[in-house]
Amino acid sequence: MKIRLAVQLCIGVVGLAAPLAAQGSRWWSWPADPDPQAVERGRPEFVRSCGRCHADNLTGTAKGPNLIRTARLRKDADGTAVAAVVRAGIPARTAGGSAADGKAMPSFQLADEAMSDLIAYMRWAVQKYDRVSPGAPPDDYPVERLLTGNAAAGKAFFNGAGGCNACHSPTGDLAGIAKKYPPVFLQARFLMPRPTKPRTADVTLPSGEKVSGELKVLNTYDVTLVSGGKTLTWPAEQVKVDVHDPLAPHRALLPKYKDDDVHNMFAYLWTLQ
Amino acid sequence: MKNTYVLALNFFVLATNVPAQTQWPSLNGDESGRRYSTLKQINVQNAAKLAPAWKFKPATGATVVKGTPIVVDGVLYFTVPDHVWAVNAATGKEIWHFNRPSRGDRIANRGVAYYKGKLYFGTPDAHLVCLRADNGRKLWETPMADVHFGYYMSNPPMVVKDKLIVGISGDAGDVTGFLKAVDPESGKVLWTWTSVPKWGEPGSETWPSQEALLHGGGTTWVQGSYDPELNLIYWGTGNPHPVLNGRDRAGSNLYTCSIVALNADTGKLVWYFQPSPHDTTDRDATESVVLIDGVFRGQPRKMLAQASRNGYFFLLDRKTGDHLLTTSFGPQNWSLGLNKRGEPIPDPKRDPSPAGTLLQGSGTNWWVPSFSPATGMFYVNANIGVWSLTYLTNGAVQGGLDDHQGGRESALSPGDPALLALDYQTGEVRWRVGYGNPAGILTTAGGLLFTSNSNYLVAMDQTNGKTVWKTNVGGPASNAPITYEVGGKQYVVMSVRDTLYSFVLPE
Ligand code: HEC
Ligand code: HEC
Repeated sequence: MKIRLAVQLCIGVVGLAAPLAAQGSRWWSWPADPDPQAVERGRPEFVRSCGRCHADNLTGTAKGPNLIRTARLRKDADGTAVAAVVRAGIPARTAGGSAADGKAMPSFQLADEAMSDLIAYMRWAVQKYDRVSPGAPPDDYPVERLLTGNAAAGKAFFNGAGGCNACHSPTGDLAGIAKKYPPVFLQARFLMPRPTKPRTADVTLPSGEKVSGELKVLNTYDVTLVSGGKTLTWPAEQVKVDVHDPLAPHRALLPKYKDDDVHNMFAYLWTLQ
Repeated sequence: MKNTYVLALNFFVLATNVPAQTQWPSLNGDESGRRYSTLKQINVQNAAKLAPAWKFKPATGATVVKGTPIVVDGVLYFTVPDHVWAVNAATGKEIWHFNRPSRGDRIANRGVAYYKGKLYFGTPDAHLVCLRADNGRKLWETPMADVHFGYYMSNPPMVVKDKLIVGISGDAGDVTGFLKAVDPESGKVLWTWTSVPKWGEPGSETWPSQEALLHGGGTTWVQGSYDPELNLIYWGTGNPHPVLNGRDRAGSNLYTCSIVALNADTGKLVWYFQPSPHDTTDRDATESVVLIDGVFRGQPRKMLAQASRNGYFFLLDRKTGDHLLTTSFGPQNWSLGLNKRGEPIPDPKRDPSPAGTLLQGSGTNWWVPSFSPATGMFYVNANIGVWSLTYLTNGAVQGGLDDHQGGRESALSPGDPALLALDYQTGEVRWRVGYGNPAGILTTAGGLLFTSNSNYLVAMDQTNGKTVWKTNVGGPASNAPITYEVGGKQYVVMSVRDTLYSFVLPE
């Protein structure tokens, strides 16, 4: 249960702030969070010595178990339990009925400092695993993963079923669009652009008078416009409101995309370098 | 024919003829989960006159009060993570305050349970704590789960006969959910039910491997309900793990995203229904499981209803788990229809993918709904028509690290938040008010519905959604409304941000 819906429904409610942090903390830890410099020092050692069996990200391979989920790492407050395993290694077990049967772990002799850096990296990986929230992929999300469509088909959609050419041109406003945004961002943007112009509305008052302006608030009870430099509010039930949303055409397009259209369109827009 | 008539009459009597309930002794008022109060001093005719009675702003710790208070014998108890307060329910004056600092997820604490002079609440480090209700002194505490794996407690236990039923929060470490029955005197665990079956037992065939099953999720985030006559506990379970990566857990992934019925004495599964088989987009089924006694297609029945995170409304026979009705309350593009059990069939083409999948969904979440036996309507704050792109990222982000989400989601269009009144017999939307807030709902015998809308605290006419009272104290409600009577006066209490607000009719 992540908080996707909540974030969209909540209006400016902050989850936590300083007063609580002073008394308890948002996350369990070891008890201290790993030092970022130690993490960077430990990373190459882990990748060199451990990654081939446990995966560089600790999630395990056929040759070694997932270390993200092991109590030996999570509950090792002072690092001694992990260090002990690393220094001693583990002989191959035989008939334990476990996935690790027949697999051994070699021993590694590391100086205390190197060991604590290695453990800092492992702790950091656990925290990354646990603490991530499901927002958009980062800007460096590889474009190769997104390029599964057909640019020619995307172009045909742009000028045909999608009707994009009614408002956009590949040599006009969208020229060079592929250079403007990171690829994963571009994909979200063409589906739902960020408006550069605000929503406006025409409000018809009970008297029949019409006021137009920038729409600031529209909900069950209130309508607020900024018109001619003035902020005006009316009870929603007493007025008629016609909203002009620059993104309405894009919203209306969303249900029209078939499975391949999104990827074809991305492939086409990516050619507009 | 005649029998049916008599039975139907009995159901009616049961639903309306109980003595007025002056207390609010548990999170949802009673074990049915319907959040309906028989109080009617405040009603559709006079609610417009509601005025502030008192407010309470906890002096320490709280930036947002997400806990729903309970009221027992004129004392109101509420929480924020690590803290409990006892407050005079008529005056809002603090009686005592308890603080136990801890490290663990403190996204919310939903409140306390009361049983025979003692209070029970959960902590960010997943301990169950027992306090004396009269002075707030701690009697004992005991761990319910291991915080090192991301477990925490946000909900209080549910009192079932002489037991406390404890659900758990947290899923960051790919753990599994569970319910425990705990002895209220000693804190001893009497039985445990886990959200995934044992390997080899029925249901385990819905997982590809024991490893996947053991890290399969199914967190029991939100409080369930209980039918004393059938001696069954009902609970909704959370999504499977990793959240967006369904490829590593082929199968329907029982009993995640499920509604389960357990024997209250033994914790044994009696039936299950799965609102979201093989979920791949966090459509957990932990939302309130609300007990409805009424008529369905002319037959009196004991039923259970859920408006689910996945945008479907489900009505089940709660004795057998048989499915009576599945309707959708908002558009989505991920379901291919219903299977013969009445469960949605997920379209594999809408699973998160490396290139991104365009997903539309509708649904609700932890903020509790309400059912009014007076109108036969099920009220829920929902979000209609949300668009996003979902990605299967496996190793393609954060320098090759995987995480418990197994993917990412890019929000495109937030959808329309709305308060819906659903006819429980047909699932039809009888009325709808836009701009709903993520807040709980209360209905009363006074014909009112209390919730939060458009940043106002509001009272509406249950029958048509017409607003009869509203007040703006600076934001939407952050908990669920409650009502109780003390000294002959009916109070309504809701929280906004860091403060509890209480309302009464003027003298
Ligand atoms: C040749 C493969 C291999 C390499 C290289 C390797 N391991 Fe292991 N490791 C294993 C296996 C196999 C096990 C499980 C043994 C068992 O449970 O019987 C294991 C177990 C562990 C455990 C214990 C997990 C638990 O749940 O108790 C830790 C901690 C660990 N390895 C850390 C490391 C670190 C740190 C390195 C690098 C310095 C490393 N390993 C290198 C194969 C390997
Ligand atoms: C009816 C007019 C209309 C149609 C049809 C339309 N768009 Fe747009 N588009 C807009 C508007 C308005 C904006 C927002 C521009 C602004 O506010 O600056 C926009 C923005 C965009 C952007 C973001 C540009 C930037 O620089 O951030 C992209 C990309 C885009 N549209 C692609 C498309 C594609 C692809 C289609 C067809 C599938 C399409 N549009 C159809 C009106 C339209």
